[in-house]
Parts: sequence; structure tokens; C-alpha cells
Amino acid sequence: MKNYPIWKSFTVISLVLLGIIFAIPSIIYDENSENWFLKNKINLGLDLQGGSYLLLEVQLDVLYKEELDNFVDSVRLISRDQAVKIEKIDIQENEVVVFFANKEKIKDIRDSFFQMYRGVSLQISNNRLSIKLNDEYRKIIQDSAIKQSLEIVRKRIDESGTKEPLIQRSGKKRILLQLPGVKDPERIKDLLGKTAKLTFHIVDNDNTSALQNNLAPFGKIIVPDMYDENTKYLLDKRAVVGGENLVDAKGSFDQTEGHAVSFRFDTEGAQKFGKVTTNNIGKNLAVVLDGVVITAPRISSAITGGSGIITGNFNAQEASDLAVLLRAGALPAPLEIVEERSVGAGLGADSIAAGQIAAIIGMVLVCVFMILIYGTFGALANVSLIVNLFIIISLLGTIGATLTLPGIAGIVLTIGMAVDANVLIFERIKEESLKQTKVFQIVKNGFDRAMSTILDANITTLIAAVLLFAFGSGPIRGFSITLSLGVIASMFTALMLTNFLVYMYLSFANKKELKL
Amino acid sequence: MFGLNKIIPVEPNINFLGLRRNFLIFSILAILISISLLSIKGLNLGIDFKGGTLIEVSTKNTSIGELREILSFSYSDVSLQEFGNKNIILIRLQNKSNQESIQTVNSVKNLIQDKVVEFRRSEFVGPTISSELLFRGFQAVSFALIAILIYIWLRFEWQFGFGAVVALTHDVLFTLGLLSILNVEFSLATIAAILTIAGYSINDTVVIFDRVRENLRKYKKLELVDLFNLSVNNTLSRTIMTSLTTLLALFSLFIFGGEVIRPFALTMIIGVIIGTYSSVFIAVPTLLIFKFRPQDEDD
Repeated sequence: MKNYPIWKSFTVISLVLLGIIFAIPSIIYDENSENWFLKNKINLGLDLQGGSYLLLEVQLDVLYKEELDNFVDSVRLISRDQAVKIEKIDIQENEVVVFFANKEKIKDIRDSFFQMYRGVSLQISNNRLSIKLNDEYRKIIQDSAIKQSLEIVRKRIDESGTKEPLIQRSGKKRILLQLPGVKDPERIKDLLGKTAKLTFHIVDNDNTSALQNNLAPFGKIIVPDMYDENTKYLLDKRAVVGGENLVDAKGSFDQTEGHAVSFRFDTEGAQKFGKVTTNNIGKNLAVVLDGVVITAPRISSAITGGSGIITGNFNAQEASDLAVLLRAGALPAPLEIVEERSVGAGLGADSIAAGQIAAIIGMVLVCVFMILIYGTFGALANVSLIVNLFIIISLLGTIGATLTLPGIAGIVLTIGMAVDANVLIFERIKEESLKQTKVFQIVKNGFDRAMSTILDANITTLIAAVLLFAFGSGPIRGFSITLSLGVIASMFTALMLTNFLVYMYLSFANKKELKL
Repeated sequence: MFGLNKIIPVEPNINFLGLRRNFLIFSILAILISISLLSIKGLNLGIDFKGGTLIEVSTKNTSIGELREILSFSYSDVSLQEFGNKNIILIRLQNKSNQESIQTVNSVKNLIQDKVVEFRRSEFVGPTISSELLFRGFQAVSFALIAILIYIWLRFEWQFGFGAVVALTHDVLFTLGLLSILNVEFSLATIAAILTIAGYSINDTVVIFDRVRENLRKYKKLELVDLFNLSVNNTLSRTIMTSLTTLLALFSLFIFGGEVIRPFALTMIIGVIIGTYSSVFIAVPTLLIFKFRPQDEDD
């Protein structure tokens, strides 16, 4: 057995070299390198490089409620046309029930309604028409809301100047955001926390009793002031023009008004705006953002140029943020932050340093221990162990995996567990050495016998790691990745590299007997 | 060539199975205590599973008492704790609605802004997410146990699978019980630790089972108890060696790896010790319930 097959030596040596070479980019870790080779480095997770992770949930209930309100308005309009009186309207969780004074024309009303909203479930019983949001209809609302939200979120994040954000859909109604290097998530959260639905409405100053009774007649709404909840306005429910017609918005400064947001409408918006301001000179025009009135100036002359400014008690940051929001467009529904994890760069750096120390000390301890117990063989196993670490690092770098704090823990753990395969082999060799004296036969038997045990033992660990990956989230996945890579690498280093080293050692030292 | 491994005899002859009743009683007691602890005291759930807000700050010349005074004025449910050293302080707040919690983070930050050198991290887990995470963690552990059982069943006879799962369940419950006593924070990382322990413990068990299977073929006449004893003894030095190297690495992680990873390292240390114990004293004796040989059925 002296002549170890050349192809095998070649394979082992080249794999080891590859492992070491591809670990170099991650060890040098030049953050900004564009070099094709040095780019293959480990990605640091948010918990190590610092940054923010946010999970947002689209408030679909608001949309469903809005749609039900639309149903109500449409039914009112239709029944007005048909001259049927409505006795009562009952809005439930996902159903509107309309009670009519008589049931003669109820079928016609239903049909006209169905023309407007295909896909809703309509049911008539006696003088009642019930309109239901069924699952399909809800799903359509849901999907389009998520798609739109994703787009708006992306625009807003881009506008905020965040580098390399990761924005993706997560599950049915959530959006996942990873913002590396973001130091101040509060501003981002502020940007995302607003729906930014901007509309312009004509103010009704004549109907004072409605405001006093706090009861808006049909076609009107009561909206509070942004700065003073007790100041309320009675507005036309129908918006003159909305944020969707904006083409640009900028923070600006005006000597008399202070910080403001200047905006420009597209052609359609400019036309509508011009027409309304021409017809309503003397009335007030309310600028409504997310259900509150920012300002309601009097229309002193027709504004036909298609541009204007919004003034309020803004400071510079607020004005420019509002401009960002208006440029990016309105979210279809409010987003709620359901999970947030932000790590400062300081803690990240501390974690990396601590992880490195733990890995090095763990490594030294295990190596010393192996030499104490197995002598020269222990030293050979240590070579495998070090190569094993290089391979893990190079695999992480080349597959572009993300290293997290639990991931580092996985590597340290692997250092302890990776020698297991070597130990299994050495123990078998020890046993075999009692049975016979031929050195190479002992080694061969030792490796062969240990093989199936090593496979069985490692596959069970892999099963646990894979399930962890499947059910885990973020950082924990990082752990399962390093653990799996470590287990796989340790099988290779033990069965091939240690094997190679043991044969080389025995050949060169020309050992005649083996006592482990 | 030198090496201390000669201290451990190649064929030690320790009567592990002779002690099985004592250890069985010990383990049953431990499990019963664990279960009652888990149902009475429960685990020290971290914000991953309980929801809530956590802010880690580093301070200079500001005592924890000062910060507590500032914050408890506005928040009755705030709790502060030194984290590793006295300049690093963890601030925890209980869960409210999502909207409220996000605002709370902002106002807490504003309140202590000038007392703090750096906001090291802030985490918020809303109520829906925390219950989802708990459910998924539970799912992961159960599926892992089932998958391992299936694997062992395929590779060995089903009796081995039974033995392995008994040992695994023992390890998980025992570890959880100790976590409850020691009040170790139970987080996503702990779930990862528990699963890794399952993997480690089964690894240990499989090595011994492998030897049992081999010996079953080799020594057709040997009494089962003796054969099991022999198998445990055969693999003893490996069992000890691997546990020790793993523990060395884990202790290094526990001591040097930083405050955030410490609960994970502690859980793993506990689990590795229990897992090693159970492979020898629980998994193997469980096999005695079954009769593996035709001749056993004769008597």
C-alpha cells in the first residue's frame, strides 16, 4: 500500500489548495474591492455589519373596509336613480346589508350594482340586498395592494438614499426590508409609516350645522386639522385632484411662508386643478394628507399653471420628507411595522471581534488537546481541522452566503465537532492495531470501518441543520448554513485529507509498527 | 509517537448497563421535575417569543439607576439590566400594539439621548410575529425529531429508532428543564441550540448503535446485556473525546464569544453533556426492551 494512488493525492491536494485560495477574499475582506476574485467574500449579516431589518404588514382590513364603503356609496347612487328609499345600511366585517323600503326594484338595483363590481357575491332576501366580499375578491385586492406597496416602498427607500436595500414580499401580506448600514432607522420608519395619500377638496363653509352636529351629509366628509384636532372642516367627499396626478414635489423655502413643499401636476391634474380653481374663487381649498387637513387656503385666483406650494408649520426635514413621500406616491393601505431589529455598527464590530477570539481560542484548545491525546496523529488531524476551517470560509464566500452571529457560533461549534470523524477513525485504527501488525492494513481497515459510522452520524446532524434552515429566519439560517457546511467539510477533510496525511506520514517515517 | 490516549484502555470493561436502573430512575425523576417546572415556572421567554421591545445602549458615567429613574417616570413596565459590563445596559419594555411600540422606541431614545454614547441595537417583535415564531420553532423541533426517527429507522431496525427518539426526547426535555431552573433566556437562538443538541445527541447515539449492530453480527452467542456493554465500552473513548473537544469549543464560545451568544453557548453546553449521558445510559438500555435475536425468543 506504499504507493498511494496519484489521482487521489492530486484530488486531495487540489481541493485543499482551492479551499485555501478561495478563503483569501474573505480573510482579506476588502469591502469595496471590485476585483473579480476578491469580490467572492463572505457577506456579513445585518447583525455583524450593522443595519436595520424591518417587517411590514399591509393593513388589508383598511382596504376591505374602504371597498365596503365604496359599495355603500354606489348602492346609494343607484337607488337614488331608481327612486328607491333605503331604510337602513348595515356594514359588517366583510359584508354590507342594505334594507330597502320596498322590494319592487331590488333586482334592478342588484343588476346595476353587479355591472359596476363584477365578482362580488350578491344576495337578495325579501327587501334586503347583501353584498359580500368573497375570498376571490379579497385576494385580488390583496395582491394588487402588496404589489403596489412594494413598488412605493422601493421608491421611498431609494429616495432616502439607502445603499443596497433588500426589499421583498414575505408571505401573504408582508414586506421584508433589509437596510444594511442604516444608522437611523427612525427616519425610514417615519417615511414608511405614512400612507401619504394626498387629495385636494373644496371646503363647504355654508353648512355650519353639519360641523356643529359632527354629522356629515351624504357626499361630504368632516376632516380634522393636522395641528389642532378640535378644528374641523366640512369638505366635499369627492377629491378635486389627488397625489396620483403629481409629477414632481420638492422641499422649498419661502420668505413669508417658511418651509414648504412645491409641487407640479401632470397635464390632466393641471387641467382639473385649473378648472376647479377657476369655478370656486372665494372658496377654500383643503389639502388633505392621510385624513388630516394640512392647510386650507382661500382660492384668490384661478391657478392654471399646474403648480403650487403646500405650506404648513414644517421644518426643513419635514418638508423634504413630505416631498419624498409625494414623489414616491401613496401607499394603497397603511403599513404597520410588526418586527424590527436594528444593530449599530459598534455592536456588530464587537460581535465579530468576540467571535474571532472565541474561534481562535477554541481552535487552539482543541488542537492542543488532540496532540496531547493522539500525538503525531493528533497533529495530522489538526492540519485537517485548519483546512476544514478554510474550506468553510471559502464555501461561504463563493456561494455568497451571509455570515451572522449565530453563524459564527456554528463555525466555533464545528471546530469542536469536526474532529469527531478523525477521532472515530483513530479509535478504529487503535482497535485494529491490536488485531494485526501490518501498518498499512491497519490504517486501511481503520478508515474503512469508520466510514459508515461517520456517514450515519453526520447525516443526522445535517437533517437537523436542514430543518433549521427551512423553519428558521434570518440569523438562525446563518447558523444552519455554517453548521451544514462545517459538517460536510469535516467529512471530506477526515476521510480524504487525514487519510492522505496518515499515509504520507507512515510512508515517509517508514513506520514498521503502529501503536496509537 | 506519544499520546495520552493510552490512559483510556482500548477495551475498557465498565459495567454501564449494570447501573441502568439507577440512571433510569435519575432520568425519570429529572424529566418529571423538568415537565413540572416547564408547566409551573415555564421558560424565560425572550422578546422573540413573548414580543416586546429591547434597546441596548452603551453609556459613560451614567449609572443604571439614573436611566431607570428617567425611564420609569414615563414607563411603568420598563426593566433595565446590565449586560456584560456596567456600561452596557439592556432596556426592555413589554408589548403593546405595534404602532405604540414603535413610538415607544422613539420616545425612549429621545428621553435618554444625552445620557447614552451609542444605541447598540433595538429590537421590536410584535405580538403576531412572536406567536408565529414560537409556532415555527415548535414545528422545527418536532419535524427534526420525526425526520431523525425516519432516518434511523431506514438505516437500522425500528427498535433503534425507538431508542434514539426516547433518548432525544429525554435530552430536549431535560435541557428545557435546566434552562427553566437557570432562567436562561429562551430565544430563536435557543431553538437553534436545541435542534443542534438533537443532532449532536443522535450523532452520539448512532455511533454506539452502529457498534451494537456490528457486534450483534459478530458475537452471535453473547448475552444482550453483555453485548451492549461491550459496544458502549468499544466506543467509550470516542464518546469522551468528541464530547470533550466539542465542550472545549463551546466553553471558548461561552467565555469569549460575547454577551449576545452566551445563552446559546450555555444551552449547547448543557445539551452536549446531557446528550452524551443519554446515549450511554438511556438510548442503549432502551434497546433491552426488545429481543433482537431469534434465540432470545426461544427462552
